[in-house]
Amino acid sequence: MIRTTDLAKRYGATDALRGVDLSVAAGSIYGLVGPNGAGKTTLLGILAGLRHPTSGSVQIDADPHRIAVLPDTPRFDAWLTGREVVGLAQRLTAGTEDRVEQVLADAGLTDAIDRPVGGYSRGMLQRLGLACTIVGEPTLVLLDEPASALDPLGRREVLDLIGRLKGTATVLFSSHILADVQEVCDTVGILDKGALAFQGTVEDLLVGQAVPRYRIRVRPPTDDVARALDRLDWVRAVEFDGTDELTVTVSSLADAETKLAGALAAAGARVVSMGPEAVSLERAFLEVTK
Amino acid sequence: MTLWRLEWMRLARTKRWIALVGVYVFFGLLGPLTARYLREIVDFAGGDLEGATIQFPPPVPADGMAQFVSNAVQIGTLVAVVVAAGALAFDAIPEMGVFLRTRVSDVRTILVPRVVVTVIAVLGSFVLGGLAAWYETWALIGGLEAGDVVAGLLFGCLFLVFVIGLVAAVAARASSVLGTVMISIVVLLIMPIFGISEALGRWLPSHLGGALATIPAGTESFSDYLPATAVTVVTTVGLFFVALRFAASREL
Repeated sequence: MIRTTDLAKRYGATDALRGVDLSVAAGSIYGLVGPNGAGKTTLLGILAGLRHPTSGSVQIDADPHRIAVLPDTPRFDAWLTGREVVGLAQRLTAGTEDRVEQVLADAGLTDAIDRPVGGYSRGMLQRLGLACTIVGEPTLVLLDEPASALDPLGRREVLDLIGRLKGTATVLFSSHILADVQEVCDTVGILDKGALAFQGTVEDLLVGQAVPRYRIRVRPPTDDVARALDRLDWVRAVEFDGTDELTVTVSSLADAETKLAGALAAAGARVVSMGPEAVSLERAFLEVTK
Repeated sequence: MTLWRLEWMRLARTKRWIALVGVYVFFGLLGPLTARYLREIVDFAGGDLEGATIQFPPPVPADGMAQFVSNAVQIGTLVAVVVAAGALAFDAIPEMGVFLRTRVSDVRTILVPRVVVTVIAVLGSFVLGGLAAWYETWALIGGLEAGDVVAGLLFGCLFLVFVIGLVAAVAARASSVLGTVMISIVVLLIMPIFGISEALGRWLPSHLGGALATIPAGTESFSDYLPATAVTVVTTVGLFFVALRFAASREL
């Protein structure tokens, strides 16, 4: 659906994007994550046709009239009603206005449908923006931080709306909220300093990118056990916070599975519990971007 | 809801049409009134100027239009610039620009309704004000040649189309409505400075703004405005072309 090749964008002396080879499969929900200033908005702007790349190419396999874009803080003329805003969006994309009330209901804005949007809260504007995005039945949806301004309930509704697009549209959305990405995305791309540091399925990121770690609880004294483990060549680091829990970073899961129990026994450790640390998207993200 | 209806609604709901019609019709009614009763107004305000006496010639019909033009060209044009900038600087709030730009394949689809509706509103208000001034001049001072008034109105309208073209070109580059207004006003203020030279001034678009005063007064004829008309037509077409090019290449 979307393929970029060696995409680059410079603002003066600053490289906003460097050699980005993005690949978004048709029908997927792709989460684009990255720290502030990583180039997410620039990349979405180029894909939306709002910015021009300095070099590289963009290939989008979608009807231009069925590509919908939602900026991070959508704004509309304050004197229009919600119905009129969505009606305009539909008229400009699909040519009719028969889905206006339905999408406003889906966005939870039925009660405010005939109120001027100047009186809408930030969360309501975000949901109105999403209603404008989906009213034209797009095949490709580009969302820039769609849930960033919302309270937990609003975030839930937006994520549900995005989830409902699965199967009908390809969705590419940027987010700082890794839990949102983990919940709704099947593919993730990590943008760091303008370069794509990782691209693949969420499972690949969690399994393949994060360095495996074990959490071990032992009876005191703990420092002798920590020192003994730290001397082993397959142990990368031992974190010991003064309690009875050690966090042991190992070079591979296989090493830990075959050697860790023996090493603890050799160190005379009285083991209460041990097991691999569950890898969060946040930790995988930090590993990739550090 | 279409982009055309959006622009009519912008004029109606933001009450901008009241500002436009109000300022032109107000000066249209006020101009002939002050021309007719200038002597009485000065007397009422205290005509004794430390022994000096002001002698006013009897008012003539052309004075009514001259009073209207002197106000309408300045304050009316200022209001027209503000109203035009509000409609034409559609990227001033980038999120609004994104909403529109990502839903059309050509920026002309956005720009044309905004230009056309603004032109109709500004020109309609100016003509209404001019007709009010003409009527009141006839009622208070005396009649004017219809052909002279119509010619003056046409030249005035052409100048206002040039003003809107200027605002459109500036708006396509400026980053805010205020910036668009300020830059446009600076350009419009610079023109009369060049116009101090009579040889150069008769070629400038700003020269057309005075036609409604000078043609009915007989101090200039229709043909005296042809050089400025030619320059204005060419410049205005160029400004709209530049506005389209700038708007199409602009990044958000």
